[in-house]
Amino acid sequence: MKLIELKEVSKRYSDKDILSNVNFCIEEGDFYGVIGRSGSGKTTLLNLITGFIRPSQGSVQYYSKVTEGPNDLTIDLHKLKKYFGFTPQHNSFYHKLTVKENLFHFGRLYDIKSSTLINNIKNLLIFTKLFDHRNKLAEHLSEGMQRRLDIACSLVHKPKLLVLDEPTADLDPILQKDILRLLQEVNKQGVTIVMASHHLESVENFCNKVAIVHKGQVYSQGLIDDIKKPFLKNNFTINLRPGDNRELLINTLRQLPINKIIDEGNQLIIYPQDIRMTVNSLLKFIEEENLYFNDMDVRKPSLNEIFEKISHNN
Amino acid sequence: MRSVWLITRKNLKLLVRTKLSALIVIFAPLLIILIIGLSFNTSSNLGLNIGVYSSTFTADVESFIATLQQEDYKVVKYEDSIEECVEDIKFGFVHTCIDLPESFKIDGNTPKEITFHLDPSKINLVYMVQETLKSKFNFKSQEISQEITGNILSKLASTKSTLNDKNSLLVVAKDSSSSLSSSSGTYSSSLSSLDLQAVTLTYNTTLISQTASAVSTAQGKVTDAKTVVTASGLSDEEKQTITLALDSAASELASAAGMVKGSGSDNLENVISSLEGQVGVLSGKINAAAGTVQSISTSLGGTSSSLSEISSTLNSVVESLTVVHAELDALPVTDAETITSPLITKIERVGREGTYLNYLFPSLLVLVVMFTSLLLGTTLVMMEKNSPAFLRNFFLPLKKATFIISTYLTNLILIIIQVVIILTVSLIFLENSLSMMPLIFIILLVGGSVFTFLGMALGYVFTSEETGVLASISLGSIMLFLSGVILPLESVSPFLREITFYNPFVITEKLIREVFIFQTNLSGMGVDFLTLISYALFLFLVILVAESLLHQHIVDRFMRSRHRLQRQKERRVKIDF
Repeated sequence: MKLIELKEVSKRYSDKDILSNVNFCIEEGDFYGVIGRSGSGKTTLLNLITGFIRPSQGSVQYYSKVTEGPNDLTIDLHKLKKYFGFTPQHNSFYHKLTVKENLFHFGRLYDIKSSTLINNIKNLLIFTKLFDHRNKLAEHLSEGMQRRLDIACSLVHKPKLLVLDEPTADLDPILQKDILRLLQEVNKQGVTIVMASHHLESVENFCNKVAIVHKGQVYSQGLIDDIKKPFLKNNFTINLRPGDNRELLINTLRQLPINKIIDEGNQLIIYPQDIRMTVNSLLKFIEEENLYFNDMDVRKPSLNEIFEKISHNN
Repeated sequence: MRSVWLITRKNLKLLVRTKLSALIVIFAPLLIILIIGLSFNTSSNLGLNIGVYSSTFTADVESFIATLQQEDYKVVKYEDSIEECVEDIKFGFVHTCIDLPESFKIDGNTPKEITFHLDPSKINLVYMVQETLKSKFNFKSQEISQEITGNILSKLASTKSTLNDKNSLLVVAKDSSSSLSSSSGTYSSSLSSLDLQAVTLTYNTTLISQTASAVSTAQGKVTDAKTVVTASGLSDEEKQTITLALDSAASELASAAGMVKGSGSDNLENVISSLEGQVGVLSGKINAAAGTVQSISTSLGGTSSSLSEISSTLNSVVESLTVVHAELDALPVTDAETITSPLITKIERVGREGTYLNYLFPSLLVLVVMFTSLLLGTTLVMMEKNSPAFLRNFFLPLKKATFIISTYLTNLILIIIQVVIILTVSLIFLENSLSMMPLIFIILLVGGSVFTFLGMALGYVFTSEETGVLASISLGSIMLFLSGVILPLESVSPFLREITFYNPFVITEKLIREVFIFQTNLSGMGVDFLTLISYALFLFLVILVAESLLHQHIVDRFMRSRHRLQRQKERRVKIDF
């Protein structure tokens, strides 16, 4: 079910088009990754989704079971704010308040019952592994903890949609994974997540959907596999080292339904008619003949490759 | 040295390119100097409102008022009572009240007293009014002193002329008196030389008297007897006998007469002849005396006329002296002190007596509250704006007014704490002030609210905390300079002064002063108090509107700056890896 839909949205600052004519839809339960180069318009897209900025053109619709029909975010923003949680690039809490104080402060301002809030906060503290640090001043927390606190602050009122702007930026790889796992857990609990990141690998690993923003436009959006489809390769490569059974391998390949073999010395690029069947037959033959070669690359294109391709083409 | 210059140049460039910072850092002091310079660039005391009370506005008083009016002072006349004027001082309608006498004419040895009623809490104004009006009164006093002295001198000149005139007469009278004195000596010697000694004789006058008596008696008896005889029925014989007797008596009488005319020394003729001789001597003496007396009498006729002249001269002198005395008596002022200082000025303080702290207290109090509120307002808004949590606040389902009110409330709590501390401490120094404190507290809260909102407005307008704080200090300084606390407002032009009446600092200070010094109650200062409340409400609305209009801009700027910082941080992290 649709949760947020951007229709023909453009955003212009002074004379510059930051986003132009964007159509974008987020469904309930999605873990959406928004990727793009710096200055591509990712943050602007997120700000539009949260109603933080108003579109110069077009509309942002919010769909809810509670409200009747779609609500225009620009018009009903005040009413819809409680459904959003937002974690910006930088930490957005009071550094001089403790972890618990920060959560209580923001929770209370959402007009949540005290008992419910206490319960929420306790669960959040456990969930974000901050329970033992609840009485520490926020400024005394490590970077990873601060990021978790920021996410906790965004979740304290149990939003339907959590929007994160590069939540893993400037974190070391371990902390990045730590945060992404946490978000995955949040997503599993029914919170729709939209996350902007330029860590494409992370997006590929943790998000189910992705939108590629480039030069103010959303080039691709949807399930990652669907996005990859147009970019799937029609070949595979075998890397050879001196001493490998090069001739035997080439002869064997020629027996298979292959359109073209390009010999580049230490690498063979093979264009089969059916890549799956050809690879299976080849693997079977290698096993029977006890052949040896360095490695074989039959990978689907990574998001990184797709993104590079898009960037390069445009 | 080159590097120092390069860094300095860079700093200046950065400063100038940050428009608001440049505006505040460079132009705020210039603006302050300009405003203050233009405001106080005058040597005259413009628009000093002077209340004048006199029981009767005589020509004398009116003339003095006209002199004041010529000097650009606005004179307000009070005809009913001085209290009315004093009340107006409390409310700031007039700066001083002068209690003038009916007339400046000095009609006794008591100098005329002029009383100034001044608000001692406006210390600078007190001195200014004193200095300014003192010169006017000194001039008037000199004028009166000159008039009195002139009058005395003219009287003295007139006396001198009279005395000169009368002096010659007195010289003549003196000469006449000398001459009379010598004449009197002559007369005295003449009179003493007169022989008026009577001749001393002893006469036996018994005989004469006896004789005369006997003769008389006898003659009477004879006569009686003859009458009786004649008339009696006696016979002729008898009558004869009797007649013979009578004749005998007559002969005796004749004998008596002989005794009187006898030839002896004892007869009466001799006695008479002796007497005649003596009388002749006496007559001669008397004739001589008469001649002398005649001569003296003639001389005394001249003396009488001289004395009469002297008398009339002296009468004339006496008359003149009486006139001079009367004139000198008529001089109204004879006291040297009164002549030199015919007008004395007295200063009466309006309101309760107190130390300088009492008078400075309202200004100090408002000064502290103003700067605290302005700076707190700016700082709190800046803190919130620059806080990392600023963005999160956007997603809170709260109205903008909630944030503004919260910031205001935070400020208010801090001000309340400060005001309570200040007022409590001040109770130690300011006796009997406890009853006024609640009202002062309320006024300070309202005034503090206005300053807070001003500070908050600056906080929303400026980007950096330093610039905002500097702007707050600049605004506070302008309000302070245009409040009359440092320099009297009466020195600025009437137009600018009119504007300064709307200065919240001036209004708050005025309200506190009215309560603290004049014990005015809230109803007595309704308009000012309402003005202050209106300011607070107006500023709140302005901030609300401005915040609504500026919010998107602030958010965008915040986002951009955070985004930029994040990118820089990321780049650093990548390099570290």
